[in-house]
Amino acid sequence: MKKFFILVKKEIRELLTPQMLIPLLVVVLIFNFVGKIIGKEVKKSQVPQPIEIIDLDRSAVSQSVIEIIKKSNFAPNVTIENKKEEILAQARQKKEKAMLVIPAGFEKGIKNFEPQKIEVYNIMRNFSVTGSRDAAILNAAIAAINEVLSNQLISQAILGKDPGQLKRPVLTNEFVMVGEKTANISAAAVSGFIASQTTFIPIILFLIIVFASQMIATSIASEKENKTLETLLSTPVSRKFIVASKLFAAGFVALITAVVYLFGMRNYMTSMTGGSGTNLDGATKNAIIELGLQFSTYDYVLLGLSLFFGILAALAISFILGSFAQDTKSAQGVVAPLMILILVPYLLTMLLDFSSLSPLVRNLVYAIPFSHPFLAAPSLLLNQYQNVWLGIGYLAFFFIVAVIIASKIFSTERIFTLRLKFKKSNFKIGK
Amino acid sequence: MKAVEVKNLIKTYGDIRAVDGIDFDVNENEIFALIGPNGAGKSTTLRILATILTPSSGEAFVYGNNVRKDPDSVRKLISYLPEEAGAYKALSGMAYLKFMADLYTDDSKKKTEAVEVALRIANLGNRIKDKIKNYSKGMTRKLLLARAVMMKPKLAILDEPTSGLDVINAMEIRKIIRDLSRQGMSVLLSSHNMLEIEFLSDRVGLIHRGKMYEIGTAEELKKEHNAKNLEEVFMATAAINRISL
Ligand SMILES: Nc1ncnc2c1ncn2[C@@H]1O[C@H](COP(=O)(O)OP(=O)(O)OP(=O)(O)O)[C@@H](O)[C@H]1O
Ligand SMILES: [Mg+2]
Repeated sequence: MKKFFILVKKEIRELLTPQMLIPLLVVVLIFNFVGKIIGKEVKKSQVPQPIEIIDLDRSAVSQSVIEIIKKSNFAPNVTIENKKEEILAQARQKKEKAMLVIPAGFEKGIKNFEPQKIEVYNIMRNFSVTGSRDAAILNAAIAAINEVLSNQLISQAILGKDPGQLKRPVLTNEFVMVGEKTANISAAAVSGFIASQTTFIPIILFLIIVFASQMIATSIASEKENKTLETLLSTPVSRKFIVASKLFAAGFVALITAVVYLFGMRNYMTSMTGGSGTNLDGATKNAIIELGLQFSTYDYVLLGLSLFFGILAALAISFILGSFAQDTKSAQGVVAPLMILILVPYLLTMLLDFSSLSPLVRNLVYAIPFSHPFLAAPSLLLNQYQNVWLGIGYLAFFFIVAVIIASKIFSTERIFTLRLKFKKSNFKIGK
Repeated sequence: MKAVEVKNLIKTYGDIRAVDGIDFDVNENEIFALIGPNGAGKSTTLRILATILTPSSGEAFVYGNNVRKDPDSVRKLISYLPEEAGAYKALSGMAYLKFMADLYTDDSKKKTEAVEVALRIANLGNRIKDKIKNYSKGMTRKLLLARAVMMKPKLAILDEPTSGLDVINAMEIRKIIRDLSRQGMSVLLSSHNMLEIEFLSDRVGLIHRGKMYEIGTAEELKKEHNAKNLEEVFMATAAINRISL
């Protein structure tokens, strides 16, 4: 057993090369850097944005318009002179984002039920996300103005009625049904919650499987390339230990790599959303619980098992594929088929409603072992435990078969004689 | 007991008969050298004895253990230096020696001893703490050779041990191999260096196209072929058997 850990230590040392660590660090730093910058921009747009307003009406109504703009997180600079050109030039110089012109006769027009026009000048300097968000905020402010003014008009015209009710005579009371359970909640709230809970699972899974496969294939190929394999295999160490140590080390390093990437990505994501988490209000939370849409401990255990066996199966299969590689360069190539097998269910489960696929396609996807860990989280939320267990069984079966084949290859001379023979266009697997 | 017994050993790769029915023995404490032209089957024979390859037919034994049926027992008795070998580049020479010693024994005293032996043989001075990727070819070879004999195995299988070494280092290594053999290590090696073989080996096997043509001491072979040195024996054998070298 001691020899196993000695081998694992050596494998990890061989895997953690600068070539592997530097890109990892760079990506994390970039994520962090971009995240910080975006975070700053978001914060900047949270302080009141200066905006120019030319109020040519100078009435109570135009005053209330300005108040609403202020409440929508703008800092208006109000002028009463009609100097559009000058003020616009000023606004541009001061890097302000917009100018509004409230026309003369605004209040009078409104009171006579005549539609009034406010001129809105959007000063665009770039076409980034933050730029369009500012415009959206301004639009929302205009919508709020309309709301307030129309309410005033309605209550003037039809006395004693609630304008809100008049404008929306039909209200909805939404229910969501999941399996047998029903709860009083909107569909949007449910899918928002589920998305916030489960988006990271397929990303982690995808990253770990991809890293692990590449690592194990590289680790075998580099033993061949550096001509260390013959020496290693002539030592009195059980070949099972050698195989196991490679699987273990690759899995371990892949896990760490994925966690580091995720950490970088999470920083990036939270800075994007301005740190607003997914805090649920009490009613929504209760409804989610009522629907059984929260992972129980049992769910987490099953999810963990599914992920675990998914990673093991990927490792063992990559081990076999890696045996075909002669050097580290070809190692990336031999695991390509596996990458496709992982990418297909990853994209399908992300983009499509799996249950709406045709039975043929669905069964094809089920046949890919790596579909099951991706499907586990949604299945668990829908209490389809049987599917999850079947998936775990299928993965375990795949893993065992692959490990048996891998040990066979490693305990015979095949590890030296296996290679892919490329012959013109067609290639075959040769001994 | 014989250190090595090889009986009608055959190894084929598809149509190529790399080893084509050879027989030979290596006695205990003996240094036995395989010589022969490129592609003769020397490395293939050594690989089979090192449990890396499985014979297509025939048998090979190391101290009575069948390499095909009981490779684990064979691996405990041997150490093998492949013809083209490398070491883990991310490790220092020192770390590599310690790692390899760890694979052979759990006894920390034996381990320290083995590493000391290896340090003396590798003779790399301070450079032993350098990463192996910064070593020259000869430095790496010395490290690997030191690794191969540091555990004082019952049988050392050395495929062209001094290839790539300069004259002084090669001479040094030959003396070490001879000393270790006198202390009780059997050696099976291959070489293209006839001087090396005359200096080192107790007996020589001449192999060509997978067949063993001659076995004997250097003296016997020279006398038989009326030759001044092993090189002449090599050429004479080639002429007799009408083999093109
Ligand atoms: N993996 C392999 N696949 C096919 N043929 C092989 C393989 N390994 C060796 N051979 C062939 O077997 C024969 C014997 O090769 P071997 O390496 O044993 O020769 P050698 O005596 O060690 O030669 P050298 O002096 O050049 O090292 C050669 O014809 C070689 O091409
Ligand atoms: Mg050879």
